Amino acid sequence: MPKNGSVLIIGAGIVGMKAGLMLAGASKKVHLVEKLPIIGGKVIKNEESFPNMECSTCMVAPVQQEVLQNPNIETYTYSDVESLSGSKGCYEVVIRRKARYISLVNCIGCGMCYDPCPVSIPNMWEENLMDMKAVYVPTAGSLPNVPVIDSSKCLHLNGTQECNLCVESCVFDAIDLNDSDEVVTVEVEAVLIASGSGLFDLSALPNLGYGDLSAVYSPLEFERLFASNGPTQGELTLRGSDISPERIAIIHCAGRSEVGYCSTVCCMYSFKFVRFLLHKLPEARIYDLYLDICVPGKSYQNFFTTLGEGSTTMLFTPSLEDVCVTESDSALRISYPDTSGESRELDVDMVILTAAIVPDSDLPELARIAGVELDKFGFIKRTDEGSGSTETTKAGIFAAGTVTGPGDIQRSVIQGESAAGQIMELMSTIDGEKV
Amino acid sequence: MKAKVGVYVCECGPNIAGKTDLDEIITYLSEFRGFGDVELVVRKYGFLCSNQGKEYLEKEIRDLGLTHLVVGACSPRDHDSTFKDVCGKTQLNPYLYKIINIREHCTWVIDDMDKATEKAKSYLRAGIARVLYQSELFESPIDVNPDVLVIGGGVAGMEAALALAGENRSVTIVEKNDTLGGRAGKLRGFSFQEFNKPEQVEKLIETILGNPCINVFLDSEVTSVIGFLGNFEIEHVSLESKVITELFCGSIITATGADLYETTEESGFKYSESDDVYNSMEITEMLSSGDEITLRSGKEPETIAIVHCVGREELGYCSGVCCTVMMKTANMIKARYPDIRITQFYRDICLPPSGGQELYAAARSSGVNFVKVQSTGLSGTTVKFKEKNGDEGEQFFDMVLLASALVPSKDTPALSELLGIPVDETGFFQEAHRMTNPSATTTDGVFIVGTSQGPRNISDSMLFARASAGQILTKLLVGEKLVPEVAVTEILEAYCTGCGNCLDVCVYGAIYPDEARGISIVNEAICRGCGNCYGSCPSGALRTKHFTNIQLFREVDEALR
Ligand SMILES: Cc1cc2nc3c(=O)[nH]c(=O)nc-3n(C[C@H](O)[C@H](O)[C@H](O)COP(=O)(O)OP(=O)(O)OC[C@H]3O[C@@H](n4cnc5c(N)ncnc54)[C@H](O)[C@@H]3O)c2cc1C
Ligand SMILES: Cc1cc2nc3c(=O)[nH]c(=O)nc-3n(C[C@H](O)[C@H](O)[C@H](O)COP(=O)(O)OP(=O)(O)OC[C@H]3O[C@@H](n4cnc5c(N)ncnc54)[C@H](O)[C@@H]3O)c2cc1C
Ligand code: SF4
Ligand code: SF4
Ligand code: SF4
Ligand code: SF4
Ligand code: SF4
Repeated sequence: MPKNGSVLIIGAGIVGMKAGLMLAGASKKVHLVEKLPIIGGKVIKNEESFPNMECSTCMVAPVQQEVLQNPNIETYTYSDVESLSGSKGCYEVVIRRKARYISLVNCIGCGMCYDPCPVSIPNMWEENLMDMKAVYVPTAGSLPNVPVIDSSKCLHLNGTQECNLCVESCVFDAIDLNDSDEVVTVEVEAVLIASGSGLFDLSALPNLGYGDLSAVYSPLEFERLFASNGPTQGELTLRGSDISPERIAIIHCAGRSEVGYCSTVCCMYSFKFVRFLLHKLPEARIYDLYLDICVPGKSYQNFFTTLGEGSTTMLFTPSLEDVCVTESDSALRISYPDTSGESRELDVDMVILTAAIVPDSDLPELARIAGVELDKFGFIKRTDEGSGSTETTKAGIFAAGTVTGPGDIQRSVIQGESAAGQIMELMSTIDGEKV
Repeated sequence: MKAKVGVYVCECGPNIAGKTDLDEIITYLSEFRGFGDVELVVRKYGFLCSNQGKEYLEKEIRDLGLTHLVVGACSPRDHDSTFKDVCGKTQLNPYLYKIINIREHCTWVIDDMDKATEKAKSYLRAGIARVLYQSELFESPIDVNPDVLVIGGGVAGMEAALALAGENRSVTIVEKNDTLGGRAGKLRGFSFQEFNKPEQVEKLIETILGNPCINVFLDSEVTSVIGFLGNFEIEHVSLESKVITELFCGSIITATGADLYETTEESGFKYSESDDVYNSMEITEMLSSGDEITLRSGKEPETIAIVHCVGREELGYCSGVCCTVMMKTANMIKARYPDIRITQFYRDICLPPSGGQELYAAARSSGVNFVKVQSTGLSGTTVKFKEKNGDEGEQFFDMVLLASALVPSKDTPALSELLGIPVDETGFFQEAHRMTNPSATTTDGVFIVGTSQGPRNISDSMLFARASAGQILTKLLVGEKLVPEVAVTEILEAYCTGCGNCLDVCVYGAIYPDEARGISIVNEAICRGCGNCYGSCPSGALRTKHFTNIQLFREVDEALR
């Protein structure tokens, strides 16, 4: 295979985008594959990000724009890597571009096609807190701002009935219900896996009530609830009602002992949530039920202490396994052992669980396709992790960001930059061999 | 030459055409006489951003010999660069073009067609008024030096050098000590991360010394830094021979590490040299060298206290490594001296995912006693503490080990001055952007890695180092030129009194005083055109190209006419 200066990046979160822009800036051709219809990753789910409490969209949207406009980056949204073969310096990649049914060239994102569509389905990107149509963009402010049609739910495409309403409503001729998957084969010299992570399945902790009790929230549900472009336009109301909670408890370390590590970011996003709550519900009483406060690094603790006295009541419990959330008459009742092991009770209206960061459920399959090994926790293993290397067990394939383990934006970005450097180094040595 | 301004309004399908009266706008502007004898060509088109649209526009600019261009369309975020690129293909300088957003700002937010039409008219007039005062600007690429200077030869500095040498970059390490390795070099056999092999640092040093691309100066310090990204001139001096060496490079990596916090009596730590109190560095050096753990009296200790978070309260941050260091320390002591009773006084157990959780579990199961406290103090080897439930207590131990915080190295302020990079509220070097650009600084081309940026463990220090290498390898390409920002600020010499107000305002350090002439000068290779300095000049000597007063005033005047 001729040397073509190309790189494959899997996942267009902050890591994939940053690394992609760096490599593109160095005149490499970047194939950026993202499974969702939009790029941006998890960070754009947050209204604001710790520790700076900067508006996440303002931080990420310019990066998204730059990626979409960069002539050296070919972005494949709503796409999967189907196979990856070869070895260091020459990988052949098969990418499946799933049928979107909407032309990325013609559509201008005016949104006229949503209303006419008769099908409503839960919006997973919005953590199922709202519905969307069968023709949809996952969230307000999506980039690219071009919808897709869910072919299993669309009446026309699943053969239920001869619906054509969206097509008729689009004056740009952007919708083509005969669209089909496209399979593209590209050759690259190096691969970066930056496909992020998942959240611990909270329903595995029945004592905490997630799934059974509607006022118990996962952290991503809460992020979306708070977001001004989210399901409630940022109105902090309890699921299925228009009542705002008056007493909120954040329970730390949900899943920590099950997964066997501390996820380091969850204490921080808990304190971010406290800020969110103080901002929108200044009268509310907030409790943090915790075992340890893990705020490592130069800026984290300050984020905690500047919350100020009395902003949240810190309740220490020596044993999180013994914490129980049940329904009481009108609210939720938390029972927990206190410092001296005595059992105590606390009534609240809302509970937020800080779930551990875990490998994405798709990761084992992706790792199999790429032929890379996972570590004992199920994240991607790096052979020389001790010296900060991002190379996986397969030469020429690198991994960065939360696909390698929990981390905040800073650490994820640092890994992405390191990977870009290692890829530049690899490509230059391949150059050398040719000369 | 008489100005001939092309004004092209995009229909954007029904998005603009359906919600404004475009013909009315075109007639109005064509007949508008407010711009003197300027010739206006006003036209509309279906989709200007389409390939046909771009070709049409390109042809119009050429065929009509347009001198300026105004495009009335969507948000500049969507298509400013699209039309800039079109200009680039023609005789028209891209800085003589302006996009006006009549979609997001007019038709998408105003339901009333007449009002939207009026607003679009005023916006377009403003655009024409502005563009007439815009000037041609040209890119001037500069040559860059791909070589790199690394200050500090700890693990971070060494890893950065190696990552760069891997791409055949020439790297110079200036280390003030007489050996490479830094703190990790002293830890030797001790490492809490299972993947950090004891011989890792020695191997790294050997590799560095044997690498033909890497030049090492030990016992040396950098004394002078001038220049900017791509073109730095450095002087470093040998501390022994006082010989000064000159060096040219394109970027600088600061890897000068961190120091250990020293306790004070005011913070409740009262003990003397003769007491058996050791900081984490001393105990880990003892453990890694295989020395016996003995008291100063020569006896073996029966009880050891480990006090966590020493300095955390005063400094306002958690160092993130000391809990793990102390788990490893306790386990190593327990392995060799199973009978020693160890008590850890901790505030929180902070174990970022680097194998710490396992070490903690091992410590617990080997019988190490853990006491959760709110605060601690020391009187000799007696630990004073306040428990979580408020109870106060004190307990005597044979030996006390302090988990001392990592603090900015004492050279940090001087280096900050020398390199023109600020420190943050904790005294560590400050990032260009804490989250999205953490290894860079506000001075282009100067990077901060390892513990000089903040406390962290070995592998993360090396990760940071590789990140800076990544930035350099993708930014400063061998044999390629760099194109600095074009729309920068200049100082009009005739007006500048050299008061220096603007110097403090520029976070990029782009302005410097020219003492001989008594004025200030903007280095255009460094200036980003942010405009921060613009308002700081009392005599109006600053002028940000492409955002001049006249351009802005004319634009506003016309919009409000
Ligand atoms: C609730 C919560 C709040 C947080 N708040 C903050 C905060 O305030 N500040 C902070 O610094 N950090 C915060 N974090 C951490 C932060 O979200 C992560 O550090 C960051 O998102 C990591 O970026 P990434 O690019 O590695 O992964 P992601 O952002 O998850 O991006 C991965 C991308 O890859 C795509 N992908 C996944 N699988 C595939 C596949 N098989 N093929 C193709 N594409 C795929 C995904 O769709 C996604 O777009 C928070 C985390 C959580 C859970
Ligand atoms: C007691 C203790 C135990 C630890 N144990 C572990 C462990 O087990 N595992 C782990 O991963 N991490 C551990 N750490 C953390 C680890 O030591 C650091 O992460 C790592 O050493 C940082 O490397 P660095 O290169 O950033 O800085 P350093 O190792 O401090 O190196 C900085 C170098 O810069 C030089 N320098 C300073 N100023 C100048 C100047 N002005 N000009 C030129 N040179 C200069 C110094 O001489 C030094 O050589 C421990 C830390 C402590 C305190
Ligand atoms: S498909 Fe058509 S109607 Fe739907 S958003 Fe795109 S351009 Fe608008
Ligand atoms: S064709 Fe499908 S997507 Fe379009 S409106 Fe009908 S059901 Fe909705
Ligand atoms: S970061 Fe905090 S909440 Fe998360 S696992 Fe660690 S201690 Fe628990
Ligand atoms: S790492 Fe542990 S000992 Fe060190 S400051 Fe943080 S909590 Fe305290
Ligand atoms: S415009 Fe900004 S970068 Fe340029 S000199 Fe002024 S303050 Fe500095």
